Amino acid sequence: MSVKEAQANWEPKILVFACNWCTYAGADLAGLSRLQYPPNVRVLRVPCSGRVNPQFVIRAFQRGIDGVLVAGCHPGDCHYVTGNYFTRRRYLLMQRLLQYVGVDPERFQARWISGSEGPKFQQVVKEITEQIRAMGPNRKLRDAQ
Amino acid sequence: MKTVLKTKLPELFEKLANNYTVFVPAKIEGISRFAPYQNGLELALEENVLMPPKDIFFPQTEKMYKFKAKDQYLEIEDLPPEEGQQVIFGVRSCDLKSIDCLDQVFLTKGFVDAFYQDKRDRSILIGLSCVKPMENCFCSSMGVDPQKGVGADIQAYDLGDKVGFEAITEKGRELLGKIETLLVEEAASVPAVEKFVLTADIEGVPEKLKNMFDHPIWDDICRKCLNCSVCAFVCPTCHCFDIASEVRGEDGTKIRCWDTCMFDEYTRMAGGHQPRPGKKERVRNRFMHKLRYFPERYDMLLCTGCGRCVAKCPVNLDITAVIRKIKEAE
Amino acid sequence: MSDKVKKMQEIAREILEKGEAKVVIGWEKGTHWYLSPPAFIDKPEEVERLVWDDFCHNNLSKYLKDYVNHEGKVAIFVKGCDSRAFNRLLQDKQIERDKVILIGIPCHGLKDQDKAKELGENADIPKAKKCVECRYPNPLVYDYFIGEEKALDEVAAASEARDFSDVEAIETLSPDEKYEFWNKQYERCLRCYACRNVCPACSCRECIFDQTRVGWIGKANNASENQFFALTRAMHVAGLCIECGECERVCPMNIPIMLLNKKLIKDINLLFGPYDAGVDVDGKLPLGHFDKNDPEEFM
Repeated sequence: MSVKEAQANWEPKILVFACNWCTYAGADLAGLSRLQYPPNVRVLRVPCSGRVNPQFVIRAFQRGIDGVLVAGCHPGDCHYVTGNYFTRRRYLLMQRLLQYVGVDPERFQARWISGSEGPKFQQVVKEITEQIRAMGPNRKLRDAQ
Repeated sequence: MKTVLKTKLPELFEKLANNYTVFVPAKIEGISRFAPYQNGLELALEENVLMPPKDIFFPQTEKMYKFKAKDQYLEIEDLPPEEGQQVIFGVRSCDLKSIDCLDQVFLTKGFVDAFYQDKRDRSILIGLSCVKPMENCFCSSMGVDPQKGVGADIQAYDLGDKVGFEAITEKGRELLGKIETLLVEEAASVPAVEKFVLTADIEGVPEKLKNMFDHPIWDDICRKCLNCSVCAFVCPTCHCFDIASEVRGEDGTKIRCWDTCMFDEYTRMAGGHQPRPGKKERVRNRFMHKLRYFPERYDMLLCTGCGRCVAKCPVNLDITAVIRKIKEAE
Repeated sequence: MSDKVKKMQEIAREILEKGEAKVVIGWEKGTHWYLSPPAFIDKPEEVERLVWDDFCHNNLSKYLKDYVNHEGKVAIFVKGCDSRAFNRLLQDKQIERDKVILIGIPCHGLKDQDKAKELGENADIPKAKKCVECRYPNPLVYDYFIGEEKALDEVAAASEARDFSDVEAIETLSPDEKYEFWNKQYERCLRCYACRNVCPACSCRECIFDQTRVGWIGKANNASENQFFALTRAMHVAGLCIECGECERVCPMNIPIMLLNKKLIKDINLLFGPYDAGVDVDGKLPLGHFDKNDPEEFM
């Protein structure tokens, strides 16, 4: 495939950090329910959305991810009782910091998706994929390779 | 002496840039360093630059080769060679001396570093004399002549509003020939160097240090050090590096990057043992290397008195003060 | 010699003579008139080295980490920012309060060293940027106090003023302009880690940037890795930064590091309510606790 063709065939790469107890189950439910969602997402299971630290997100952008979604249990539903409340604080700040250094807000998002919200998972993934597709490949924070 | 007006220098660089990559002292984003000449570059000829010319020969990050590893097969791919001659204009005597130090490390005693040698062989050095030492300069104390450096192909002299050129090597004579039309032959005398603010008395220090490894002086000197690496990264002679791989799937690149004895990782062994665990050991190593180990091995100091570390150290850990303390120690 | 310096030396002498502490950490004159680096005084006869002038920039609380396993007490001089740094370390249980003797010294606002060098000794040298914006010039905690306590009243007046105009100026740029700005700044970063090593908030036993075997950060120096460093460092000191501005002062590449720290401080205040690090030792850290009613943007 030539470089030109590769550019024309570009597909967004989206990394989803899914908490084991809610979002991952939600994604599973979406699959079981045969809900179609774009194959652009790579789901990475983490014990809790609180496990996702800022380095993971920046590293994803460095290595060529076009959009990052951090998703976990709704406030109050955390398997570890309070993990997602800490996540919420951290990523309220992190989102603003990333925007401050020029990362487009669509590229880094966070959502609460519970184990029963298969359709929501489908919906969110669809939305984000379309947003990122419209924006094109991410060049910011990327390493040279 | 062949001279040119300082205002005409851009014209001279322009002409040279047709055949060479011309590195000149420039101010970029507020930081003075050597940069390839291009139109509109802000020259920085009044004072020596903050970043020494070291990285032209020994970049902070240097790609060595690429590799591909799959199962048990390994393929190594050399990087395309860099080509073309480069001219480095305005290297002060301290930095010329530092290149001499780097030459010793990378080219002598049976060890030849191909990456360094390649860049060095493609380079023509134009030294530039100093008239007014900066407040942190002490090169004359370290045996460096601020008016005439070692190892330059051409020595340029700061004559006030003009720059005078004197060819030293055959390469230099050839280069001067190429810009002859811009130069005027006239009698000129090189102005005397003004007084140095900072001095150091290095006499006997390397010998004295031989018995000072366990001296309590290090306990005192090290205390304010923060173990950052400002000193090593702005130093024209510090040359330690670390080799690492950047791997993406099956593809990888071997790189070598500046490293420094101030960092924990520098001496940490594979099993986790750290022979230089703290400030004392690391600070001692820095000064021992500059003032004792290097002179022992290569018969020259590893400090050229450029004063960059004195200017930039966050806690003013001044090497001239260290030398003084060593002298005074019992 | 000013009265303050005399008093400083007197107190230091007394502490050392009585053996209350084995070492007194203060400032002394350095290579040039505009440099007052840290000084470590062990003997009463050395107290004359101690000075207090317009250039005592170094935040001495950072050094307390070196004395964690030290026998006996350590005495240090603290300005407003140093005292906040001390409180921060105490809050993290990095140091013990009763192993430190604090000698408070109200700060009149220090002067810019680069400008001093440029303008000369007799010129009217402007205040350092970090000091112009200072809201806590007086030490918040101390055992001895040098100068007049009434100066403390001025703190209240000073704390009203809070200037985020430089952060706001960047916020108004477009994403691409912002990226270009920061990329340019961090392209020249040497990753010498002076900003980290001088920072009193950076008190981890092992920093993630030193864990090279884990591979958090690549060895290569390029804009991408440097920004990884910049953003991670900023996030790691979020809620801990006491605005002493030392990171920016020591940066050999003149990177406006405080612009990142101040952005986080601004947002912490905006999102989680007013907060000044190192003021209340018993308080909770902004990222160390939560409120069920925090802003909800992730539905």
